[in-house]
Amino acid sequence: MSANVPLAESRDAEHGDADDGPFTTEGARTRLDRCINRLAPDIGWLAFVAMAISVVEVVLRYGLDSPTSWVHETTIFLVAVLFCLGGPVALARDGHIRVRLLYDAAGPRLRRALDVFNDAVTVLFCAAIAYAGWVMVERSVIAPTGEWTLERSGSSWNPPFPSFTKIVILAATLLMLVQALLHLWQSLRAVAGRR
Amino acid sequence: AQAATYEWKFQTTESAGSPLVKIQKDWAERVNEMTDGRVKIEILPVGAVVPPSQTLTAVGSGILQGHITDPSYFSGKNPAFGMLGNLVGAWSDPMQFIEYMNYGGGEELYNQLVEPYGVHLIGASVAGLESLVSSRPIREIEDLKGLKMRAPQGMVNNVFSKAGATPVNLPTSEVYTALEKGVIDAADYNTFANNQQLGLHEFAPYPIYPGFHSMPMGAVSINKDVWSELPDDLKTILETSVDYLAVDTAFRMHQLDLKAVAKARKNDDIEIIDLPKAERAKFRRIAQKEWANWAEKNEMCQKVYDSVVAFLKQRDLM
Amino acid sequence: MDIATATYVLVGAIFALLLTGLPLAFITGLVALLFTAGFFGPDALPLVTARIYGFVTEYSLVAVPMFVLMASLLDRSGIARDLFNGMRVFAGRLPGGVAVQTIIVAFFLAAMSGIIGGEIVLLGILALPQMLRLGYHRKISIGVVCAGGALGTMMPPSIVLIIYGLLASESIADLFTAAITPALILMGSYVAYVLGRCLLRPELGPPLSEEELEAPGHSRLAALKAVIPPALVAALVLGSIYAGIASVTEAAAMGVFGVLVLVSLRRELSVTIIRESLSQTINTCGMIVWIGIGAAILVGVYNLMGGNRFVASSILGLDLPPIAIVLVMMAILIVLGLFMDWIGIAMLTLPIFVPIIEQIGYDPVWFGILFAINMQVSFLSPPFGPAAFYLKGVAPPGITLRDIYTSLLPFIALQVTVLAIMLTFPQVATWPLH
Ligand code: NA
Ligand code: NA
Repeated sequence: MSANVPLAESRDAEHGDADDGPFTTEGARTRLDRCINRLAPDIGWLAFVAMAISVVEVVLRYGLDSPTSWVHETTIFLVAVLFCLGGPVALARDGHIRVRLLYDAAGPRLRRALDVFNDAVTVLFCAAIAYAGWVMVERSVIAPTGEWTLERSGSSWNPPFPSFTKIVILAATLLMLVQALLHLWQSLRAVAGRR
Repeated sequence: AQAATYEWKFQTTESAGSPLVKIQKDWAERVNEMTDGRVKIEILPVGAVVPPSQTLTAVGSGILQGHITDPSYFSGKNPAFGMLGNLVGAWSDPMQFIEYMNYGGGEELYNQLVEPYGVHLIGASVAGLESLVSSRPIREIEDLKGLKMRAPQGMVNNVFSKAGATPVNLPTSEVYTALEKGVIDAADYNTFANNQQLGLHEFAPYPIYPGFHSMPMGAVSINKDVWSELPDDLKTILETSVDYLAVDTAFRMHQLDLKAVAKARKNDDIEIIDLPKAERAKFRRIAQKEWANWAEKNEMCQKVYDSVVAFLKQRDLM
Repeated sequence: MDIATATYVLVGAIFALLLTGLPLAFITGLVALLFTAGFFGPDALPLVTARIYGFVTEYSLVAVPMFVLMASLLDRSGIARDLFNGMRVFAGRLPGGVAVQTIIVAFFLAAMSGIIGGEIVLLGILALPQMLRLGYHRKISIGVVCAGGALGTMMPPSIVLIIYGLLASESIADLFTAAITPALILMGSYVAYVLGRCLLRPELGPPLSEEELEAPGHSRLAALKAVIPPALVAALVLGSIYAGIASVTEAAAMGVFGVLVLVSLRRELSVTIIRESLSQTINTCGMIVWIGIGAAILVGVYNLMGGNRFVASSILGLDLPPIAIVLVMMAILIVLGLFMDWIGIAMLTLPIFVPIIEQIGYDPVWFGILFAINMQVSFLSPPFGPAAFYLKGVAPPGITLRDIYTSLLPFIALQVTVLAIMLTFPQVATWPLH
């Protein structure tokens, strides 16, 4: 979709149906959105791996009486990454739940205004979280003594998953920030184009 | 009373309905009275503002002014937190640990550890030894062999593994169903009274009481800048009040345990097992090897190890 | 701004922003961010990311992607279609039979898990398109999926009740025991309602005609062949929980594994089908989890602002008789259910409510059951019911939120009736305990 397509009309279709094939572009507004869309199933493999290792844990524990020390923490980590990156994916597909009562009833002008408002608010939201995420990551990878370190889980296996998860939260919000900026640019141009 | 000069929010690691929260709220009340209303502390239950693993950062950055927490939550930042917070098998009663913290060098070490994070320890409290719940009788350490036991934290996990048990890493919310259905045979969970209250003894009827393995500290800490700017009289009041909180916590929790034990004794389906002294010693010897392993992790861990071992040796406990 | 004004501004801002069509997750999150920065300055913003971290690493949510993946695989392979064809044969001449069977399937799902999002999504992907395909009335199909999917929080093992027990220091065993009767009554009322309507107007749930029953594709043997494999998967999941092989969360993973085996036995396993299912999984999880994240942030900030004290003192300050206080709490829960998921609601309200319930002399176990039923109502109730949102996320195109809400009204009425029964006669729930 080029930025010149009037946005309000392009978004008239029923949205929110997640039942898209992996290569669908429905709901995607920019090239970045379509790119994220194409990558979604690859990220989805995290869920598959989480499933597979959980089964391994059950078999090892119940069948061989030797549970692992790493499956539970890894499962939680993989699913946490999936959840974080689910944010940009749902944003790329317009899959986040929204109440379209007023939006659907609005005329094209009000819709374009609402688009600008919503995209601007989304930018604000993502920027604030990204800032907070940056502070969180800083505290997680730099010890108070100033040296570079990774925050670990403190379990007997002790993986650096807390740091990794925090970095992924930051990455996901930064990605959403870029998506939202592109959306805002697009809806501003739609307003300008109609003037 | 006049308007408070200091209004602080302390988040605890306990849930709202826990008797510990009541005890901690009583402490806040006493501080308010003793300071003639100048200090007002609000005790917030676990997770109210930030998740329990994030309170250290939240207090350090001033989002919260203080927390009452098990330092093991921060083992991932420095394993010394885990060693000071809950040294597996080390303590046989709360007062022994409080003695170590107040007179054996524990407080100073903890403050060395925590002050770089912008946090100051006022003092330590402790609820008491946790009681191991088990669906199979454990009458000697030998019986741990092959026991599938929920043990989440680092050191507990390692020590039980060395003692022959099979540690299973499960989060708190899964313990109840896992024990009920037999996914695990035993669990490192909570004090006797708390386990009884949740109903764990109904299908894990061989609790070990008095406990022997785990006794998490309830470290009462405050933001370091807030602390250093306090007038001396308030510092003294806070320190003294936390010393009393330690006594109040240990003895009130003990009363609850005793009541729960009396109730459990009347139930023929529950057998409370008192592990013999020799077995407890055997477990401590296994644990000591693990402390020594942890001591090698960094300088702070070594300091904690040396200080605890010196304390225990002085009392012929090692 | 004092906390009372702040509370009204906060709720007002959320409702106003909802009208703009901004995603719900961003609205709660943004309002929380503005209040954090406004009340405590930008230095307090890391509170927000600490809440996100806490929420995404919540172990009880691990089952959500498993349920979505399971549903998606069943749907994309022919298993779901064959299953419902088979169920229809067994329903025979009974109007609405497949809807009743779906409620029973939902009940089994409820015995496997306690996370509402996962179950509604699973039924929404699995059962809804199939019922519509079989000519079932849209409203009944939607209602059955949402109300049935919500049962997971009542029927043990219920993570809602476990969290309640942990937060309130109450016996989880007692909570589970007390939850069984109300859960059965709820299920019974759904079955009775569906059967009642379909017997009066059979076109709402068209049964097979005589000719169809005679047709070769509709033999009971063929139907059995279609029904048995999914039943085996259910048995695998339930069996691994009740035999103590797997924890509740691990059992969901076992279910996915079982479905994968089935799909490959049917020679339908391909990279495409897996990739499509994974794609749906991440999208649906993103939707569910970010709504939860927004609510979690809001809870943290509101507590820091002193909201918990404000709510507690307002309730006690009402100077109402105890039962009226309980009713006020129910009303608050229903309002929160409009824009939060149950984890957020539990974290926000239970630390406030449970001490009050004890203070005014009620049984916290009974209140736990009321809480669980109330969560059922609030998940369905318009204008902003999470169950409707979850279903909207996976429902076939053309089904609007308005369709969903109008379908849910009779089921909400049933839930409110059961709630009233439990309020009036606590012993209906607690009888096995005495
Ligand atoms: Na359930
Ligand atoms: Na609702």
